[in-house]
Amino acid sequence: MAARWSSENVVVEFRDAQATAMSVDCLGRHAVLSGRRFLYVVNLEIPSEPSRKIGRQSKWDVGTVQWNPHKAEAHLFAASSNQRVDLYVWRDGCGEAHTSLQGHTRVISDLDWSWFEPEYLVTSSVDTYIYIWDTRDTRKPTVALSAVAGASQVKWNRRNPNCLASSHDGDVRIWDKRKPNTAMEYVAAHLSKIHGLDWHPDNEYILATSSQDNSVRFWDYRQPRKYLNILSCQVPVWKARYTPFSNGLVTVMVPQLRRENSLLLWSTLDLNSPVHAFVGHDDVVLEFQWRPQKEGSKNYQLVTWSRDQTLRIWRVDPQLQKLCANDIVEELVEGMTLNTESEKTLPSQDSEPPLSPGLSTEDLEDQQEGSQGVLLGGGRQDAPGLPQTLQQEFSLVNLQIRNVNVEKMDAVNRSCFVSAHCGANRVRLVVKFPAQYPNNAAPTFQFVSPTTISSSMKIKILKILTDTSLQKVKRNQNCLEPCVRQLVSCLESDMEDGTAANPYVLPVTPALPAFPRVTNTYGSYQDANIPFPRTSGARFCGTGSLVYFTRPTTMHRSVPPTEPTPRSLSALSAYHSGVLTPMKMRTESQSTLRLYSGSPTRSDKEQVSISSFYYKERKSRRWKSKREGSDYGNRPIKPAGKVIIQEISCLLPVHKALGETYVLNVNDIQDTCQKNAAAALAVGRRDLAKVWALASAATSVDLSPDSDPDADTPWARHPFGRHLLETLLDHYSQMSDVQSLAMLCSVFQAQGSPQDYFTLYGHHLPRSTIFPSHHSRYPSYTSSSLTSGSCSSTSDSTTTTWNIAGRDPEHAPPWGESSPDDYRYANQVYTDPREREKEQHDMNKRLLDPSNALQFDDFKKCYGEILHRWGLKEKRSEVLKFVSCPPEPHKGIEFGVYCCHCRSQARGTQCAVCKRFTFQCAICHVAVRGSSNFCLSCGHGGHTSHMMEWFRAQEVCPTGCGCHCLLQSTF
Amino acid sequence: MIHDAQMDYYGTRLATCSSDRSVKIFDVKNGGQILLADLRGHEGPVWQVAWAHPMYGNILASCSYDRKVIIWKEENGSWDKMYEYTGHDSSVNSVCWGPYDFGLILACGSSDGAISILTFSGEGQWDVKKISNAHTIGCNAVSWAPAVVPGSLIDQPTGQKPNYIKRFVSGGCDNLVKLWKEEDGQWKEDQKLEAHSDWVRDVGWAPSIGLPTSTIASCSQDGRVFIWTCDDPSGNTWTAKLLHKFNDVVWHVSWSITGNILAVSGGDNKVTLWKESLDGQWACISDVNKGQGAVSSVTDGQQNEQ
Repeated sequence: MAARWSSENVVVEFRDAQATAMSVDCLGRHAVLSGRRFLYVVNLEIPSEPSRKIGRQSKWDVGTVQWNPHKAEAHLFAASSNQRVDLYVWRDGCGEAHTSLQGHTRVISDLDWSWFEPEYLVTSSVDTYIYIWDTRDTRKPTVALSAVAGASQVKWNRRNPNCLASSHDGDVRIWDKRKPNTAMEYVAAHLSKIHGLDWHPDNEYILATSSQDNSVRFWDYRQPRKYLNILSCQVPVWKARYTPFSNGLVTVMVPQLRRENSLLLWSTLDLNSPVHAFVGHDDVVLEFQWRPQKEGSKNYQLVTWSRDQTLRIWRVDPQLQKLCANDIVEELVEGMTLNTESEKTLPSQDSEPPLSPGLSTEDLEDQQEGSQGVLLGGGRQDAPGLPQTLQQEFSLVNLQIRNVNVEKMDAVNRSCFVSAHCGANRVRLVVKFPAQYPNNAAPTFQFVSPTTISSSMKIKILKILTDTSLQKVKRNQNCLEPCVRQLVSCLESDMEDGTAANPYVLPVTPALPAFPRVTNTYGSYQDANIPFPRTSGARFCGTGSLVYFTRPTTMHRSVPPTEPTPRSLSALSAYHSGVLTPMKMRTESQSTLRLYSGSPTRSDKEQVSISSFYYKERKSRRWKSKREGSDYGNRPIKPAGKVIIQEISCLLPVHKALGETYVLNVNDIQDTCQKNAAAALAVGRRDLAKVWALASAATSVDLSPDSDPDADTPWARHPFGRHLLETLLDHYSQMSDVQSLAMLCSVFQAQGSPQDYFTLYGHHLPRSTIFPSHHSRYPSYTSSSLTSGSCSSTSDSTTTTWNIAGRDPEHAPPWGESSPDDYRYANQVYTDPREREKEQHDMNKRLLDPSNALQFDDFKKCYGEILHRWGLKEKRSEVLKFVSCPPEPHKGIEFGVYCCHCRSQARGTQCAVCKRFTFQCAICHVAVRGSSNFCLSCGHGGHTSHMMEWFRAQEVCPTGCGCHCLLQSTF
Repeated sequence: MIHDAQMDYYGTRLATCSSDRSVKIFDVKNGGQILLADLRGHEGPVWQVAWAHPMYGNILASCSYDRKVIIWKEENGSWDKMYEYTGHDSSVNSVCWGPYDFGLILACGSSDGAISILTFSGEGQWDVKKISNAHTIGCNAVSWAPAVVPGSLIDQPTGQKPNYIKRFVSGGCDNLVKLWKEEDGQWKEDQKLEAHSDWVRDVGWAPSIGLPTSTIASCSQDGRVFIWTCDDPSGNTWTAKLLHKFNDVVWHVSWSITGNILAVSGGDNKVTLWKESLDGQWACISDVNKGQGAVSSVTDGQQNEQ
């Protein structure tokens, strides 16, 4: 555990906590983190101090944990674990579970302590019941609310002790605990699942719901049909909670998405853009809670727990609080009056006072305005806050687009100039924004000189721009950036396609959806799952090169080295917001948001946006091209990041020089070995020189094996024979020295079986001359199939033999091909013991273990590949000559039959055309359905039994065609 | 900003890709550097490039933030789009060509969580197979297994040609390394390797020199690099070994051609080379620091120690 303090916020890491839930007690002293094995109690005053642990034995994660919000019971907290709630007591630095509440039959989804009665706790479960427990009597719940549907959230009203709300999928139900039979009110709030529910701290009737459907909605449950206001976020919202100060709302994303790690602070008065982002967590935020304010402090503190295993405490100072309320609030809407006076003077709860007495009157005013403002939210979008919106758009818009320049962005006169060039075409546009923009009021576009495009093109572009802008402003969204992008892609496609380009291809430009519709949170939601781009990397290429590129030296990170590089592309938005609008987006630690410091040569204007950072860099980041004298205008060109190709072949166990000088002369193995030894010595591989000397000795003619198995034990059986070679191969395997491996294998293979390999097609030559003679006494294949008609490709005799050997005939290699492995089971074929002995001897006398031949082949193939990369093609073929050629796996033979009646081709015994049996026995002239044999030469045949009988005495075909079937055997 | 650089099979040409949406090809023969081509076609930063085996011609694949994979082919000295694949819904982060034994086959991993396998079926046709939701949240890297059948060398005494199984490894935002194999034309998850505590940024299947061991390196946002090995012929038992815990994210791992040296690079802007000693320990043999260039002189010792 390590603690890092900064002036702005507190970060404490709990490496092994793996906590799923967190809660802050009502005194602001402790936070409890609930992991699977331990509950950690953190002292928030000194969070770096090691936390105290309470062990727990459960295979279930803690679902929800919550401290009792009443000061008198502040030592008590409840934690749900599957179907059970455990109540823990925390006193004097140690804690224990003192009782548990059991009643639910399925997993508990949420729990909430009553704000008014310290003993009361409500739990919700997917078993469809909502239980209210009196902790003084833990045997059973005091009230059971039956909801029919499983609940995901349950929350007590903060103003009304009898009222509570629960969420069921997309619906919210409002309950009075005195009427447990049925809910007071149903609110069909969302179309997707509701993840979070929060009552307004001051208004009895208002609550906020956050949902999978990417929105937060605000409700007055007395008007369940229409939400008061909606906050559209581009991603599912996990929790949306009111701030203890007025008009604020904090949202986090659904953690499963892992896309956005920031908490956003919104003003409920202006839901168009967040007023602040709490950026810092490296992973999704799992829980956030407000720490009760200290006496006399104007600051609030937000405590957050994230999957990155850090607990952070963020300070929210009065300025930031004011941002939530600084918009001008118009006159009250009648009919929705609130007694704000009384509410703001009353602390909303007796134990967790979110409103400090230390607040200034100004703050109180803000609160007053705010609590009313919540109700107004829906109607105030066209309020005078709008010039600022355009100003905002101008400042935030991401216009680092190739060939485009946006100038004279004038928020006061509500206009700007866009100039673009593409090839010879130049376009200059004036964009004028109406006063209502972007609320269903599209800007106007006008071409001005020096526009060089044709008038038809102008019309086309105008139409596209108008369409695009209308699309956006209909949703009250900014449209400048999408329009400019459309303009560029239109110009570019016109360049490519000629003037006949269809303007309607543009709306489907795939790049466009990648850019967020909400321009002021650039890329943040959409790019959160896209990994942060690599700015350095190294790759082995070819055979002996390492290609690497690094960030240019001028771009150094300003963050401390302890701060890890962000995970996702969206982190760039932190940089963006942090640098761009220091006034608006006050961030906790701006310095950490700045990923890389910009070059001092760049002007401030260029430095502001992330995209300028991002795109800017690449413009000057053309390695090498500088050298070629390319002109990049008057932009300051920084030294580019170089790509370096480093020769690292000295690190590799293989040597190109050896590849060139090694020889493989099968006719003189001795000479080969000696030459290779000299070659190895020449490159300084003394070890290899010795190995080649050994090879030379081992391949000496004196040691060549006798062909008579009885003569002598072959050298291969000697400890210095095969065993020594295997040891050598093992060694070079460990060194990954595939060059030595392949060469040794080739040399010893050549030595071991010269009779095969000296011939031109040596490796193809069947060694099976030993065993085919006995194969078939009858030159036919057996068709043993009855219905399928496919014939197994095995001859009578071999089938039996293999069956004896216990082998599946399908995997048998076809005869006539050599592989050393054949001998293993071929041995079992031989009836003559001398054959077997000879075969055994043949294997024994080889220095290379024939059973590993495939592996040796792989060495050679791999080395061949390396030689190929070196461009040594002849050397490669020399080595590859020694690769044995294992036979293709036999796919089986299927015999086709011409129907004897209609002459059509048929498969099987029945003709598909005439439906008759396809062939007749040559002897009995009866259709054959069962086992049959045919001569492969003349094609005649019949019932197996008949054929057997016939050829016992005869040699010629029973049809009289004159074919000497037995002699015509292909075998 | 350059995001990837890779040389072709022979080491004579270099392809780089950058956030300026371009892919550039340089001739780097004999230490020179001549810009051969500037490939434009992507509409966003280009993340990665990959050269195909030269037996299919000069073919380069690139993937980008714009959700596209473009396969470029050089014909008569000019580079053109051979195929453009737009089947992903989010940034495509990684492309990797399969071993040449399988034909022209490309795996692409995307932030939409899917992995696509594109197979050239001749005459300009590409056959696409998609593994949806291969990694929840997103797939960050793919790497093919070499075309050998580990273990079969000993256990397949039949002498028949080994039946190569197409396999690759992928890493994603679910912190998992997953192994995939093709069975009956369908891609199936074979193994799931868990060790990382954050996004897996890159995976690399080590080239085989014919030994029965499979090796995979994986690196992650959590700064850890793991070496996964499997000696088991059935390919089911993988053991993880922590190579090193770096202080910053590790972005890339790359194996040398003989599979015994691993290059690791990451957010700290450094490149380190790692080598397994004869007793199985991984040791850093070099720091390639930017600007300094030279690989430190550890080379002589290791060559002659045998």
